[in-house]
Amino acid sequence: MPLYRYIIRRVLFAIPMLLGITVVSFLIAHAVPADPINANLPQNALGNERLVTAFRERWGLDKPPVVQYLTYLRNLLQGDMGVSIKTKNPVLEDIRQFLPATFELATFSIIVGLAMGIGFGVVSAVWRNTIFDYLVRVFALIGVSFPIFLLALVALAVFHAQLGWAAGPGRLGFLVRDPPHVTGLFTIDSLLAGQWQTLRDAVAHLVLPSLVLGSYVSGIIARITRSSLLEVLGADYIRTARAKGQVERIVVLGHGLSNALIPVVTILGVLYGNLLAGAVLTESIFAWPGIGRYAFRASTSQDFPAIMGVSMLIALIYVVANFLVDILYFLLDPRIRYT
Amino acid sequence: MQATLHRQAAGKLFQDLRANPVVVLGLVVVLIWFLLALLAPQLAPAGPLQQSIPDRLQPPNRSFLLGTDELGRDILSRVLYGGRITIPAGLAVIIIDGIIGWLIGAIAGYLGGIWDEILMRVTELFMAFPTIILAMAVTAALGPNIRNAVLALVIVRWPNYARLARGLIIETKTADYVEAARSLGARGPYLLFRTLLPNSIAPVVVYGSLDIGNAILLFAGLSFLGLGPEPSSPEWGRMISIGIDFFDQWWMWLFPGLAIASLVMAFNFIGDGLRDLLDPRLGR
Repeated sequence: MPLYRYIIRRVLFAIPMLLGITVVSFLIAHAVPADPINANLPQNALGNERLVTAFRERWGLDKPPVVQYLTYLRNLLQGDMGVSIKTKNPVLEDIRQFLPATFELATFSIIVGLAMGIGFGVVSAVWRNTIFDYLVRVFALIGVSFPIFLLALVALAVFHAQLGWAAGPGRLGFLVRDPPHVTGLFTIDSLLAGQWQTLRDAVAHLVLPSLVLGSYVSGIIARITRSSLLEVLGADYIRTARAKGQVERIVVLGHGLSNALIPVVTILGVLYGNLLAGAVLTESIFAWPGIGRYAFRASTSQDFPAIMGVSMLIALIYVVANFLVDILYFLLDPRIRYT
Repeated sequence: MQATLHRQAAGKLFQDLRANPVVVLGLVVVLIWFLLALLAPQLAPAGPLQQSIPDRLQPPNRSFLLGTDELGRDILSRVLYGGRITIPAGLAVIIIDGIIGWLIGAIAGYLGGIWDEILMRVTELFMAFPTIILAMAVTAALGPNIRNAVLALVIVRWPNYARLARGLIIETKTADYVEAARSLGARGPYLLFRTLLPNSIAPVVVYGSLDIGNAILLFAGLSFLGLGPEPSSPEWGRMISIGIDFFDQWWMWLFPGLAIASLVMAFNFIGDGLRDLLDPRLGR
């Protein structure tokens, strides 16, 4: 099967998924609460007859549910996700403002997570049932058992407040100004503007939060790398490579790891979703001005439209990430081309 | 792995589990937490809500072993009482999910065809959302309290159980003894509950016990986001989120955090041992 046909197939598969997500969001937003008007309008607007009528009209709340859903879908396609009760801005505008910070953090975190996870997984598989293996497995267990917000607090308390090794909360230090806005990613923007000082500061502030988020996903990566590498190392072609006298390092890293990483690739999409969820729970602690902190504030202040907007966005990113991973998988593993 | 877990094997499994030191450690810690939660009214030096402003923000010391919070409430007492919220909440989530998930999965697997197709597509939809995000939306819609947080977690976790149960039923329904029951005239609900249920429930129970840790973590997460019990509640996640504003008073967030971590880790130790024993390929 050629690549373009595979892509078309995955797109056709993703469309009902995306529609389904809007149905679930719609059901949560319209069918579950007693009254969507109460949930979506600020307290002081509820007494205002005109505002209430306008809201009812805009979302078709006086129409039958099917029409309501279509209205909801139409508004959504036009980028209308409602207005945040707390910030008073359209939710989409808020998201556009906060997303780059989260994207930057998540990208750094997945790199850190992959490096740590794969490294630990290889160590654990090559020296299996030794002390290294047990240490890695315990580390992985701790990683999946620790609430990530606790990990963030401990990391900040130890590495920033106590030892002073890492930069504190925020994306930049107090005295550093934001680089000129191009992408919204401070590392890229400062690089483009040639502001080396800002770049260094931005990277320094990324270290701690991306270590926390990265180690959060690295446990799962280590586990999968380990079991997959163990399976691969038992394969015939590995024995052949050894038999022809290949250096052990190349056998493990070249022949073994490159094949063992395919299962890791397949879960990258899921991991990215986990990372975003982790961001919701940690960004507030690092005063990181991304959608995670936005969602945290929305949750703690019952800002319903904002919460729905963020949930929808993360679900969309999740579907898109999985779609990209499927394509990557197709390119990496020739076997599925012939099925 | 799943369908072969019969009663005899279960006895052997229990012996193997006891021989595994990590599992034993997990069991002991879980047992301790159950006892602490159960005996909290007897053990706690103070009431979980009892304020004493003159004693506010005390670091751990002789009279307040784990310190006090911003209203002078004793952290140790609050942590002990917290178990009375989190442990039952986690158990409730997996028990309800086990029942709902088994029913939906079993119906899909038993009826097959178009019903299977519909139910499984719906299941996949719910899995398209990262768990905590969907739970967040549901709790926000229902209004934040313990019951709704549990309900939200039930709504986001059942698909895992449904998929497991569906697979088990499909595997079980072709077995000879099911054929035998059918030829004796067993049909519909009778066949489902009297023949298929007892032969497919064990793996669901095992999966549930592996899942308690996750349920507790998610519950604490929701509660950390302010979507669980009310703010004054001694729930662990809630205590941590209040503790963020008192970063330098580390005892306010560290101890409830360690409570969650130790309990979840203990459950995961048990789960990990269980998994190794049931699926030897993963462990060795």
